[in-house]
Amino acid sequence: MFKNYLKIAWRNLLKNKVFTTANLIGLSTAFAIAILLGMTAMFDLSFDQFHKKKDTVYQLYLSNQTPKGTTISVVNPIPLAPALKEEVPGIKHIARSLSQDALITYQNKDFDLDAEYVDNDFFTLFSYPVIIGNTQEPIPNKNSIALSESTAKKIFGDGNAIGETIFLQQGREQVPFTVASILKDTPVNTSVDFDIVIPFESHREYLPNIDIWDSYNHLVYLELEEGVSLSQFEKNTRSFTNQHYENQIESMVRDGALPDTNGQYKQFHLLPYSDVAFVSYATGIAIVNRTFPYLILGIALLIIFIACANFINMNIALGEKRLKEIGMRKTLGAVKRQLFGQFWLESILIFVVSIVLGLIAAHLLLDPFKTLFNTQATLSNLSKPVILVGFFLSLLLITLIAGGYPALILSKLNAIRALKGKWEMGKNRLRNGLIVLQFVIAIVLISGTIVLHGQIQYMRNKDLGYNKEQVVSIPLNGKMDSYRVVQLLREELKNNPNILSVSGADNNLGRGRDGSLSTSKWRFDYKERSIGTNVLTVDHDYLKTLDIPLVSGRSFSKEYGADSLSIVINETMAKELNEKDPLSVKIQEDEATYTIIGVLKDYHFQNINREIEPLTLFMNTDWDLYYAYVKVSPAAIAKSYDAINAAWGKVEPQAEFLGSFLDENVDRTFRREKTMATIITSGSVLGILLSCIGLFAMSMLVVTQRTKEIGVRKVIGASVSSITLLLTKDFLKLVGFAFLIAAPLAWYFLNNWLESYPFRITLSPLYFAMAGFLAMLIAFLTVGARTIRAASANPVKSLRTE
Amino acid sequence: MLLQLHNIFKWVNSGGQRIFLLKDINFEVREGEFISIMGPSGSGKSTLLNVIGMLDGFDEGEYQFLDEPVHSIKEKHRANLYKEYIGFVFQSYHLLDELTVKENLEMPLLYKKYKGAERKAMVADMLDRFNIVGKKDLFPAQLSGGQQQLVGIARALISNPKLILADEPTGNLNSKQGEEIMQLFKQLNDEGVTIIQVTHSEKNAAYGSRIINLLDGRMI
Repeated sequence: MFKNYLKIAWRNLLKNKVFTTANLIGLSTAFAIAILLGMTAMFDLSFDQFHKKKDTVYQLYLSNQTPKGTTISVVNPIPLAPALKEEVPGIKHIARSLSQDALITYQNKDFDLDAEYVDNDFFTLFSYPVIIGNTQEPIPNKNSIALSESTAKKIFGDGNAIGETIFLQQGREQVPFTVASILKDTPVNTSVDFDIVIPFESHREYLPNIDIWDSYNHLVYLELEEGVSLSQFEKNTRSFTNQHYENQIESMVRDGALPDTNGQYKQFHLLPYSDVAFVSYATGIAIVNRTFPYLILGIALLIIFIACANFINMNIALGEKRLKEIGMRKTLGAVKRQLFGQFWLESILIFVVSIVLGLIAAHLLLDPFKTLFNTQATLSNLSKPVILVGFFLSLLLITLIAGGYPALILSKLNAIRALKGKWEMGKNRLRNGLIVLQFVIAIVLISGTIVLHGQIQYMRNKDLGYNKEQVVSIPLNGKMDSYRVVQLLREELKNNPNILSVSGADNNLGRGRDGSLSTSKWRFDYKERSIGTNVLTVDHDYLKTLDIPLVSGRSFSKEYGADSLSIVINETMAKELNEKDPLSVKIQEDEATYTIIGVLKDYHFQNINREIEPLTLFMNTDWDLYYAYVKVSPAAIAKSYDAINAAWGKVEPQAEFLGSFLDENVDRTFRREKTMATIITSGSVLGILLSCIGLFAMSMLVVTQRTKEIGVRKVIGASVSSITLLLTKDFLKLVGFAFLIAAPLAWYFLNNWLESYPFRITLSPLYFAMAGFLAMLIAFLTVGARTIRAASANPVKSLRTE
Repeated sequence: MLLQLHNIFKWVNSGGQRIFLLKDINFEVREGEFISIMGPSGSGKSTLLNVIGMLDGFDEGEYQFLDEPVHSIKEKHRANLYKEYIGFVFQSYHLLDELTVKENLEMPLLYKKYKGAERKAMVADMLDRFNIVGKKDLFPAQLSGGQQQLVGIARALISNPKLILADEPTGNLNSKQGEEIMQLFKQLNDEGVTIIQVTHSEKNAAYGSRIINLLDGRMI
């Protein structure tokens, strides 16, 4: 019986070559892309999930009531963790952790490494396995460090690493450390990745700040004792917070902040570590948001849906050709269940072949996909038992629905009617419904593509307030004093006519090739008010190099001698100070009095998806610079870049040159948007393509069914165009209807999405009209190709068969 | 007694009116009979044949087949009944185009869950009996009409039914082919198979032992 079914299925597939090919191409493409997208989503969702204690380890965060609302901070003062453990009951383990770059020297070779400064409990809380060394205490004392496997190999080659001494650059001195253990490399799906682990107490800021409660720089993780609940712990911390943050709370009260429902101005909370990679604190509460991976997963499902809808439609339509077989089988004694089984088996056959093809295609496309979507995911992300079982179950379900529905309809037919080839049912309604749904999906995705690209284009072209095309920023990752490096660069490039100016600062614009991002903030009291500002340390010529105009006053200048007590602020900061003449303002802090000497025009010193915040520029050679900026003339940009590279090689031969143009850096800050755009674009291209395959097949069927009608109409005198219109109209109506549903849907989603951007394009109806028009055009071309041919055929031929 | 029809009515509702397809049909069939149903087009011949073959239902009356009340048993049971005892022959043969002669013959056996070896033997037997061994690997489209009908009859006979229902079996054949088929029916009847045929032709009806005449759904 089974063999007979397979035989019939096989011969039927061969007979309907067009449909079989359309189905196979559609389904296997859909499966391939769905597998790849599913893999990406699963990879995103797997972040940090490898830690054994991911659900019982928490990240500590503090919510602060300010006059402007609640803000959240995750960075903490150095004395916090020990004091918390001492004074608040219920903590089993607690560890501080600080990520920073570290410059390591071994036998006169420099290595720029990702370092993690941690307490020993860090390894109790997290699953970073030790390969060689003490498993419990990988860094047993404050002069020992642990290296990752590949870093050890990089530094020591194949030689022994344990017990070797390396030197860590701390400020201007080199501190010796002993390698105590080797750790397994951090997995790719971790939020905390490091090459080297250094004891927290050995950080250069540790001793100076050991009792300072208002300087924050690291994260705190903890595990509670058994039986202690989150709310219990949060309650326990209240008196602790009120005592240790007394000064800050006082100034919050003075500034008019309102306490939270528990009467607290500062409240510690805990966030499960499994959520850390997905959390956003932007609105003052911790929002765990896994939308992005689920969005990808959603697109994968939509694509599968479109392909399945094609399958259902074609199967039902083809069923008409098989009525005789169904009738015959029934008269020979087949019951409903057997016929259902037979048709379902045929569907499974197609699906299995498609999945195999899809898997092969996914495998072949893996590498380009990974580059394009900028993901580290691998197919092994999908090869977990739970996912595989789920995959097979959902597959069974999909074939049951997609293959089973036509099977059910066909198997229910009355034997006599089937034999006579009569088939009355409301099949067109289902068919039309599915086509409409397909096009709704396609149009929503197309609108998404258009709007997303629009927003990215907008962000890319937006005037950020500084010159991003002509300026190169270079991370100062060498050992030499930063001011000296900038000065040497200046001299080195002085005679090059294409180099216009050189400067430096302690922060980058956009995201450079070193990948690091930092924020420095300063809070001070001014006229009985607490004012917060971002701070930036700059070198001479900073404004000139970046083409940032002054609104009033002057910039730092060599002519005025020491400018270390002068500051330059941006317009937002001036507004914050609320003075008629900001240049008259003097700010008193500890022993120093700062004078505002200039106000500069606002520029986007942070990511473009944020409002411009207050900013204060300092020039103080006691504070290091971390980036050099070089402005080049618009002519010979590439040549100038090479010249800078060469100059760098002379100044800092040991350190890698990581210079990049600021427009590249800015582009890097919306990598996420770009990935999303790529995914949605490919989703929409695939969506419309698959929908059109379906449409094409349906139009072919309709044309065959109506051949006689077309012949009669032509004999009566209908023109080719009127017949084409007649045949095409029905399909275009469906697309139009889909547009009516899709446009508001797309508007709703996109509007929601855009709202997270303070600087954004306005959502004009044009975008949606464009998407609709595009879908309509493609649909017309698809259906038209077939119908025009049918309409221009000789009617005598089509009528002769009668 | 093979089957018994008692006060059978069948109708359709059209435009608020009840149109009768079968009206008060009563007759009995004994094993070994060869019955011809005759009547003009639209008189309900085929409908009656389909009711007897249990492919179509009826609205009123009683139908006993081998003492089973067909009107009150479940579909599955009914399917078992006709699968076991009835073979169908159609005017347009209704062979499955995708299957070869051999596979077409094999199909009814599949639904009766015969073993592979048994099926092979029965198919071989049937091919032999109808002298079509040479054609066993051909597809229906490669055969002439008479040959196709031969295969159709062979398929109906392969599971040794008690009753053969034939709906104008010679309707699509030329006279020579038609005569051969009728001869075959006669021979089968002599071997003990009960046959009910629908026909337009007096000549074909004469092969039968009894004629039932229908007009507008009524027996006359």
